Amino acid sequence: MTEISTIEPWTDSSQKAYIEIKNVTKKFGDFTAIDNLSLDIYKNEFFSLLGPSGCGKTTLLRMLAGFEKPTEGTILLDGEDISQVPPHLRPINMMFQSYALFPHMSVEKNIAFGLKQDKLPKNEINDRVEEMLELVQLTEFAKRKPDQLSGGQRQRVALGRSLAKRPKLLLLDEPLGALDKRLREQTQFELMNIQEKLGVTFVIVTHDQEEAMTVSSRIGLMDTGYLTQVATPTEIYEAPVNRDVADFIGDVNFLEGTYKGKNETGTQLDSDDAKCVVYATQVTAADIGRKLWFAIRPEKLEISKRKPDFEHNILKGKIEDISYTGSMSTYHVKLANGKVLTACRANRERSVEHQLTWEDEVYLHWLPHSAIVLQS
Amino acid sequence: MKRFTAFNMTTLLLGFAFLYIPIIILVVFSFNESKLVTVWGGFSTKWYGELMNNQSIKDAAWVTAKVAFTSSTIATLLGTIAGLVMTKFGRFRGRTLFSGMIYAPMVMPEVIIGLSLLLMFVALSIDRGVMTVTLAHITFSMCYVAVVVQSRMSSYDDSINEAALDLGCTPFKTFFLITLPIILPAVISGWLLSFTLSLDDLVIASFTSGPGSTTLPMKIYSMVRLGVTPEINAVSTILVGLVAIGVVTGSFIGKKQKTN
Amino acid sequence: MNKIKGFRGIGRTAVIGIPYLWLSVLFLLPFLIVLKISFAEPIIAIPPYTSLLQWGDSFWPTIKASFDGYLFILEDSLYVNAYLSSLKIATISTLIALVVGYSIAYSIAKAPRRWRGVLLMLVILPFWTSFLIRVYAWIGILKTEGLLNLLLLSLGVIDKPLTIMNTDLAVYIGIVYSYLPFMILPLYANLEKMDFSLLEAAADLGCRPFKTFWTVTIPLSLPGILAGCFLVFIPVVGEFVIPDLLGGTQTLMIGKVLWLEFFNNRDWPLASAVAIILLAILIVPIMYYQKTQEKAIS
Repeated sequence: MTEISTIEPWTDSSQKAYIEIKNVTKKFGDFTAIDNLSLDIYKNEFFSLLGPSGCGKTTLLRMLAGFEKPTEGTILLDGEDISQVPPHLRPINMMFQSYALFPHMSVEKNIAFGLKQDKLPKNEINDRVEEMLELVQLTEFAKRKPDQLSGGQRQRVALGRSLAKRPKLLLLDEPLGALDKRLREQTQFELMNIQEKLGVTFVIVTHDQEEAMTVSSRIGLMDTGYLTQVATPTEIYEAPVNRDVADFIGDVNFLEGTYKGKNETGTQLDSDDAKCVVYATQVTAADIGRKLWFAIRPEKLEISKRKPDFEHNILKGKIEDISYTGSMSTYHVKLANGKVLTACRANRERSVEHQLTWEDEVYLHWLPHSAIVLQS
Repeated sequence: MKRFTAFNMTTLLLGFAFLYIPIIILVVFSFNESKLVTVWGGFSTKWYGELMNNQSIKDAAWVTAKVAFTSSTIATLLGTIAGLVMTKFGRFRGRTLFSGMIYAPMVMPEVIIGLSLLLMFVALSIDRGVMTVTLAHITFSMCYVAVVVQSRMSSYDDSINEAALDLGCTPFKTFFLITLPIILPAVISGWLLSFTLSLDDLVIASFTSGPGSTTLPMKIYSMVRLGVTPEINAVSTILVGLVAIGVVTGSFIGKKQKTN
Repeated sequence: MNKIKGFRGIGRTAVIGIPYLWLSVLFLLPFLIVLKISFAEPIIAIPPYTSLLQWGDSFWPTIKASFDGYLFILEDSLYVNAYLSSLKIATISTLIALVVGYSIAYSIAKAPRRWRGVLLMLVILPFWTSFLIRVYAWIGILKTEGLLNLLLLSLGVIDKPLTIMNTDLAVYIGIVYSYLPFMILPLYANLEKMDFSLLEAAADLGCRPFKTFWTVTIPLSLPGILAGCFLVFIPVVGEFVIPDLLGGTQTLMIGKVLWLEFFNNRDWPLASAVAIILLAILIVPIMYYQKTQEKAIS
């Protein structure tokens, strides 16, 4: 099964991590920015560090780049300890959030800068610069200065410049933040293509979960200095480890309740919210009466006017709010006890009138394997 | 909505009149045939001619030029380093004292600075001359340069330096290849500021100069004490003219740089 | 605020060290020497003062310090009056310069954007011309036979020439004239950044223009006001050129006193003592100024 292990090297214990962050702590005076964090990143991954502002993701990135030194712990790149190596001696390049283009140099000179520092022969530099200009599609703009370029063009210069030296690892600090939505989406795919084409390992920092989900091979979710979950986008979305993670990515419904036991169909939860017993196939061992939560994504809640023909997991409520975005409709359904659940579905039939409208009495239903049980 | 009222306009006109009328009178009367300031005897450039024959003024001008060029260049060097240290070097031992030594000379009365430097030169048995005046000028000029550079550096984007480091440039090279070219306008205006301060200084030069190193301001001052003559007006007009050309050129270059 | 990380160890110390060393030797050390000399006595010698340490028969030197200079200054009404007069003149000039400078700075800040650069340059231009020359220019105007009197006489406003030259009034005019750019620039720097929509908000809430000025504009421009006042007040206290050229024998300013004591009387210890006392008076404002500037940067 070697094929699987090259696509998902983290599952294969024989594969050695390319970047090993071992028990790294970073303190700024009394403030702990990174708390005993350990992480393995593999070659050719497109790894995202995702989290809210202030969670420490940028600090971690800067430690990889060499602009901060860990207070404790080590960082290994391809087996070598780089924790004390200054940034200009690391085979790592970074694309800055502000792009940080040299304002007094042309696009060409910006891209050539790193190569000049390596004292490469002139014609080799010229070739490489041409290659990069083509890669980021800026060949006609070679002689322009940064202040003569648009935001999107500047971003590409920054990308070209950071790839010119063919680094082993490329770090990207919120690279798409300043772009408008369309350009952002376009650039996301371009980044993925470039990464595959050049075979470079990317580590990207972002606060935009959609972006992380789109581009990443794996996501490292961070919160105030530590990693809450490291997994593929699918795993994070469908199998979050706790409510914070579930809530951070996408929308989710929580049903709170107490553990009732388990049977052949799965875990039973005596839910106050739902005022009935609900079921999930996930097997969870817990003490009877212990507080647990069911998490169900809105797209997995079926909504209908007719009572569904199932035994369990049926709730009744009234549509309170509808959010119509063209392709999807999202319904806020108020249950009898006041709790509001969110259900959404694709508008598969073309119809100008709403099939379900405000104040409609509806039934919500989900399949037992659609929900997961969270202990925290 | 910033309404520029008639009151504002009047204020500006009066203000600029106040600032410029004395200078204009000075220039006008340098072309006065008559020796008296209040009587217009006709247009004449004879005082400029006398000026050209006045060796002591020419010597003083030469001393001033030497001192001004040397001191501004060295002051710009030192001041730029100081400005960098103040903004980018964070906390270090003795920072408060350093900062104090940068700001204090800007407000300190010149008599105190002049006196203290002279006393030190005497105590160290250093002969006073062009060198001591230059040393004195460097000392107070560098503070002004430091403040100008500091002000520019506080809005400097550090990530540009980081990008250079990241691409393999050593910190030392980064300063010369990246930082310096970017802050060059501020450094140049620091140089111009030092040059003007040196050109203009009377008090400190009086304390710190020696025989044979009379500066132009010192010469003018001694002439003024003897009485007002149009020759002084002439020398003043030349200086004003030079400075005006310098400032206007400087601001044109500054504007052109901005639009580029 | 990021530090240039590469400057570690030796490199960093050297870079900090160079300007630090220069200033310590050429700025700080001289003050210590002035302090030392202020405790000496004047003698006919080169240098014309006694040394602090007397090496006699015993191993350790004796310290020969004399407080005569200080006592003389503090007891003699001439000096005390000179200090007080300097403070008075400096305060009044600063206030006049503040009023004049504020009006000009405010008007420039409200001017249309494209004019502002030119206007500022016009303010700065006189500053770049020689201080001495500008003061000198006023002599010709303020003299008894000067242009101002000429103008007023010919217009019939007065029938006898005014005596302005060699009086305190001339000194005030000279000081305000020379130091005006120092007042205008920090004021303008502050006013330019002011959010004029705050004034509109005040008006919207019913505040009259005059009141808005005092309750909104002035407090917001306080940093600029303080900076400008420090930049004028502190050096003016020790000003020499203006009282010497424009003031009379009645105009007492400590800068002039120091100069005369040093050059005319050749009493170096006394001049040093005068300087030390002046420094002591000004040290608090100087430190305050430095604090406000540091705060402004960080």
